[in-house]
Amino acid sequence: MEQIVLDIKKALGGNDDFFIKRDYLLKKEVLLLGLSTLVDMTKTKTILQKQSEGLISQGKTSESIFILMGELFEDDTKKAITSVLEGKLIIYIEHTKKFIIYEPVPKGLNRSIEVPSNESVIQGPSNSFTEDIDTNIGLLRKQLTSNKLLVHSFTTGKNQKTKISLLFINGLVDKELVENINSLIEKNKSMDISNLQSMSKMLGFSSWDTVSKFNTTELPFHASQFLKKGRVVILVDQLPFALILPNLLWDMFIVESDRNFPFPIMITISCLRVIGALIALISPGMYVALVAVNPEALQIELALSVAQSREGVPYPALVEVIIMLVVLELILEASIRLPKSVGPTITMVGGIILGQAVVEAKLVSNLLIIILAATTIANSTLVGAQSSLSIRSFKYINVILSSLFGVLGLVVGLVFISSYLASLTTFGKSYLYLNIGRKEQ
Amino acid sequence: MKLSNKKVIYLICSLLTMVLILSGCWDIKDINHRLLPVSIGVKKVDDQYLVILNIPEPIDGSMETKIVSAKAETVSKAVDTISRNMESDVYLLHVKLIFIEKETAEDGINDIIAGFMRSRDVSPKALVAICDEDLQEFFNNIKINAEKKGLSTYNYFEKNAGWNPDIALTRVWEVFRGIHSYTHDVAIPLIRSGKDTTMDQIGSAILKRGKMVEQISSNETLLYNVFKGESGNGKMEVMEHATVMLLGSKTDNIGRLVNNDAHMESLIKVRVVILETKGEPSLNLIKEEINTLISERYNKLFTKLQENEADVFGMGQFFRNQIPRDELKNWRSDYFKNMKININVKIDIQNEGYLKTT
Repeated sequence: MEQIVLDIKKALGGNDDFFIKRDYLLKKEVLLLGLSTLVDMTKTKTILQKQSEGLISQGKTSESIFILMGELFEDDTKKAITSVLEGKLIIYIEHTKKFIIYEPVPKGLNRSIEVPSNESVIQGPSNSFTEDIDTNIGLLRKQLTSNKLLVHSFTTGKNQKTKISLLFINGLVDKELVENINSLIEKNKSMDISNLQSMSKMLGFSSWDTVSKFNTTELPFHASQFLKKGRVVILVDQLPFALILPNLLWDMFIVESDRNFPFPIMITISCLRVIGALIALISPGMYVALVAVNPEALQIELALSVAQSREGVPYPALVEVIIMLVVLELILEASIRLPKSVGPTITMVGGIILGQAVVEAKLVSNLLIIILAATTIANSTLVGAQSSLSIRSFKYINVILSSLFGVLGLVVGLVFISSYLASLTTFGKSYLYLNIGRKEQ
Repeated sequence: MKLSNKKVIYLICSLLTMVLILSGCWDIKDINHRLLPVSIGVKKVDDQYLVILNIPEPIDGSMETKIVSAKAETVSKAVDTISRNMESDVYLLHVKLIFIEKETAEDGINDIIAGFMRSRDVSPKALVAICDEDLQEFFNNIKINAEKKGLSTYNYFEKNAGWNPDIALTRVWEVFRGIHSYTHDVAIPLIRSGKDTTMDQIGSAILKRGKMVEQISSNETLLYNVFKGESGNGKMEVMEHATVMLLGSKTDNIGRLVNNDAHMESLIKVRVVILETKGEPSLNLIKEEINTLISERYNKLFTKLQENEADVFGMGQFFRNQIPRDELKNWRSDYFKNMKININVKIDIQNEGYLKTT
């Protein structure tokens, strides 16, 4: 065997699914190299035979046929190994040191395009992204048929090869933004990308940001609308959602599929989400502030009924709120973790705990249950898993500040949160911008 | 200034500790450990103050009233004594009503009001009322009558509940202003416990520089409220030929100084609805009747006020820019007493009833 084949064998031979098969193609001796788990050999061989026969009948020389069948390389072991790992078939022509990277019939390892599982659409296109990056790009191209949609692809990673694609609409997007992202990906090409944290490390974002720099969506429709607004979409192989850069505050409140409703209704729904964010941020803190520090701000009737509902509760309002908030977070987390068949159990048990038992046992006041329910429901109105998580964590700042300084603390907390949000920038674009796209020419 | 990571962490840690140490949050008492009285009664007995608190206590879904009292040299000391003897701390933040006994008010309530303003325990928005019977008895009667409705004393004065346009609404800060202002006095509701109802309103007390000097009737209090711009809505007026209901009113005042004599030109615009008539009086007759009724009442009231030199309408406000400050302090005695008042009433009958619709 020749040196190059030996090198490849040395690198990949430890795998049981790696194969080297001797074969004849166009009366020449060839070696077929690949991974049997990624390549459907039977189908690939049939196609290979048919293709070569078809080309021979047109009277081409074997040399030119090889060039037509795939990319021809000479003496490039590294390229060969990468291609094998990507699921390509290497056709090595013996005694020539040349090999072809052939696109084989892949094993069906991808799921079909389904409706989104984490985002629901009331009225609007409901295809969702899958794990396969090429399918995802295809979905986007179908949503957005335009010659201005550009796709830049990169292969990154040292130990783990991952394909990343950068999509944007030429003319609408800020050129500087694209250049920045392009150069950062080029610079950090050796990083292994498998999740959002490594992705944000690659783009040089601080890992201590509480608000995600990426807005994520499962819906090609949403992604295409963001592209039209001048955002950049990054697709990562094996991640079934698109990353939209930069993430802006208003993405939390506005959903593209709302535009399928009449305008006044769309505005109302967006306002509802703003109210939802405020309730989620304020209400637990407000409870602590009014019950513990500033009861004079309550109406006397309310003050008396709150006092009565707290009668017999053994600990201060802050502890009461924190305990119940933690229980609530546990329920939320558990219902994500549990398989769908057991999920309803948690709802039921959690409902019993939060609904009645805890009040009857005089562990918390029943007003707090109302507050908690309002908080959780309000938090769920926000768009996007990333943003609603940040809001969910911000409310604790308000709770603690309220327990120290009352209503004043609550206001201070809101000012803190606002100034933090105002301080966030992504490649020079503030988080609070309404829109970053350029006007369509 | 660029801080290193270590410094930032130190800074955050020290800020957090400071927040915890400096906030004093361990002094905070939860709402169920506070007693929230709705009304407070103050009476002067010899050199001491008798303070009575009316504390609504929610017990098993209904509101019970608790009356506690203490005697001490000052009001705050008395509240402190009560607080010491109760199982929870007394917080006066929710006090909506301050009752002062009539005799105490006649002696002057300057110290009590100044104390409330100074300590800020009681909101300056709390209402002040004068009690025309023994305070202890009054509170006991409230407790009997208001059983299961602990907030009735408070609702009595609440605008969206039991308030009527012939009850004066005067707040602590207004009384305080009345004590110190050269040109403004106040009227305070005069209350006694009722036989069947919790409280009976018998008119208003005129406070001049913090001392009760005169008493006016409910009808006159209505004029006071109308003049002040409080809504007179829903008040009935019965006359010889018709009964009308007041819908609203507006007052325009022009004060002029002629030869160092104060002249007041008042235009009162009243909107009314005719409810009942006797016979078939013309609209002009009804207007005429209302006009005489209102101007007569006003004139009577003014004479009374001028005799007492108590400017509850704040007429002096319209002369503030015409009288020099060192003379203004004699406004009540020099100017108000001899002020000429000309009252014009303009009546707008908005609705004659639905007799003509067929």
